[in-house]
Amino acid sequence: MTANRLTRRAVLSAGAAAALATIGAPVILHAQTATLKITTWGGKWGDIMKAELLPAFEKEFKCTVSADQAFPFVPKLQASPKSNPVYDVLHTNSNEQWSSLDLGLVEARLDHKKIPNLADVYPYAISDKIVGVSIFTSAIGLGYRTDKGLKKPTSWKDFADPALAGMRGGYIIPVNSLGQCHLMMLGKIYGKGFTDLDAAYKALEALKPIKLVDFTGQMEKMLLAGEVNMGVIHDSGVLRYEGQNQPIDFAIPSEGVMALEQVLNVTPGSKVKELAYAYIDYMLRPDVQKKLAETVWYSPSNKKVKLAPKYDARLFNTEAKVAQLIQPDWKWYNARKDEIDTRVTRLLKG
Amino acid sequence: MASLADALPATRLTPRPRRPAVSPIAWLVGPALLLFVIFFVLPFAVMAVLSLLSGNPAQNPNVYLTSRHYVRFAGDDLYWDALWSTLRIGIVTTLASLLVGYPLAHWMARMKSRLGHALLLMAVIAPMLTGIVVRTFAWMTILQDKGVINTTLIGLGLIEKPLPLMYNEFGTVVALVHIYVPFMVLTLTGVIGRIDERLEQAARNLGASRLRAFAEVTLPLSLPGIFAGSLLVFALSISAYVTPFLMGGTNVLTLPMLIYQQVSSSFNLGFAGALGVILLAVSLLVVIAYNHVLARFSGPEGLT
Repeated sequence: MTANRLTRRAVLSAGAAAALATIGAPVILHAQTATLKITTWGGKWGDIMKAELLPAFEKEFKCTVSADQAFPFVPKLQASPKSNPVYDVLHTNSNEQWSSLDLGLVEARLDHKKIPNLADVYPYAISDKIVGVSIFTSAIGLGYRTDKGLKKPTSWKDFADPALAGMRGGYIIPVNSLGQCHLMMLGKIYGKGFTDLDAAYKALEALKPIKLVDFTGQMEKMLLAGEVNMGVIHDSGVLRYEGQNQPIDFAIPSEGVMALEQVLNVTPGSKVKELAYAYIDYMLRPDVQKKLAETVWYSPSNKKVKLAPKYDARLFNTEAKVAQLIQPDWKWYNARKDEIDTRVTRLLKG
Repeated sequence: MASLADALPATRLTPRPRRPAVSPIAWLVGPALLLFVIFFVLPFAVMAVLSLLSGNPAQNPNVYLTSRHYVRFAGDDLYWDALWSTLRIGIVTTLASLLVGYPLAHWMARMKSRLGHALLLMAVIAPMLTGIVVRTFAWMTILQDKGVINTTLIGLGLIEKPLPLMYNEFGTVVALVHIYVPFMVLTLTGVIGRIDERLEQAARNLGASRLRAFAEVTLPLSLPGIFAGSLLVFALSISAYVTPFLMGGTNVLTLPMLIYQQVSSSFNLGFAGALGVILLAVSLLVVIAYNHVLARFSGPEGLT
């Protein structure tokens, strides 16, 4: 009878064991499940990723995905040890992948054998202008108000129309890749080519007065609010308002559009490389591509994606359409970035 | 052995010298000091070291000591302009906050009605409950070309073209003053509230006008509050990033904006560190100079 008595010591021991089990159980379970650390965008992209695509990936690959949406990503990766990086898959625009490569933060070349869906992508997605793989692209052209009596722009030169003084919108070039693309395009339009910086600087100065923003989303707001009548923007930033009765439209200048690629790459120190490659392959699957393309109006890289008619009509999803995309030489640009930043800041300031 | 045995009782009887007790205040200050070291001294030391290195030692073991980041700053007038612009915005914001905040703080400190004081305090604190980004966006909707003010003035036929209220230093300072005035008011209210009103009344009884009594009694006695409030607002203004970025457009370039650019898009931690060290050093010089000026005005008792 004595042996069965409930002593205070027994109760305390049982309580402590229960507490330890409660605290420790998730840790133990978590230890058995691999975690893939990725970066991804916010907004509608982030919503559908978190609500549908990432849970489906977790279920299929029996893992957990930790997705960071808080930009900027590269400085965080830069601050983490190479052998234990803060991300396994880095999703950025193309220019940052090139900087990351210089810093040794991403793989120079992906193992194509581990990404079967690469067989179906357009050549631009894995061209020598890309570090990693471009899973989507949008086209940088001109967004404009349709209620201000403006003719639909047909050339990049239309952006310099004196009637747009003070009502045209561009970007703070040192921090925005669309602004950097626009600068290179100015060199092509007004000079000898994309690398003709002197011509680009001169043309940029001629665009003053111009309202500059740092984030692409802010340009959308400026156009919607009528704060600018025409602005450099990617097609997705305008097309996503289709059907909402907004007086804005997107124009593809005859000289071509610059590609704003969404690039994925693996970090060399990742502890879950197989999972990282599986994630990239998953993001290139036709069904995943279709879902995202029709949510945020990005042009899918996979040739096999069949889009609904309204998306099919405007996105870059055929060989002929993607031929219009101009891929910037970010390696060349990044090598001169400090010099360009200083020059354009001085040029546009005050 | 005998001598040891004899000695033992004597040892027991002799009171041991007491170690000086650690002041309870020191124990209370300890955590704050630890936080200061962990979250200010260490990060600053890392930043200062990085500013003198050719790269990031965590990524590249072959880094070497260099002064090139400081040479780069010294050799380009764009960076000097950015430094001057940062200080100018800080100084103007501080002065404007003082001009707006002092009368409000004085009124609050001398208010007899508890309810009135509470309501005023809530009015001062209320804006702080909203994030800086939200408050800045609110100012954008008011000051931009298609904003409330310009649209109203154009609608009334008073102006034809929008007034340049945003995308310049004016808009930046207006938004910064709105954001930082509560810091000035709260700091000043405490100090003015502790000034004995009878001193001012005595000055009035001795024939001083209301203005002279304020200028020669209340104002000098409130100098510690002015100094503390100004220091707080100045430090916050010169390190502001979001508001100058959103309100200033291309016409405003400050050192925090340059630092962010270097970290977020150029990934040059060394130059960002050098800019941070320069901003801190220059700010300290400004604060020391300001302290000296105020000490001179406050008379022999100084700012204590």
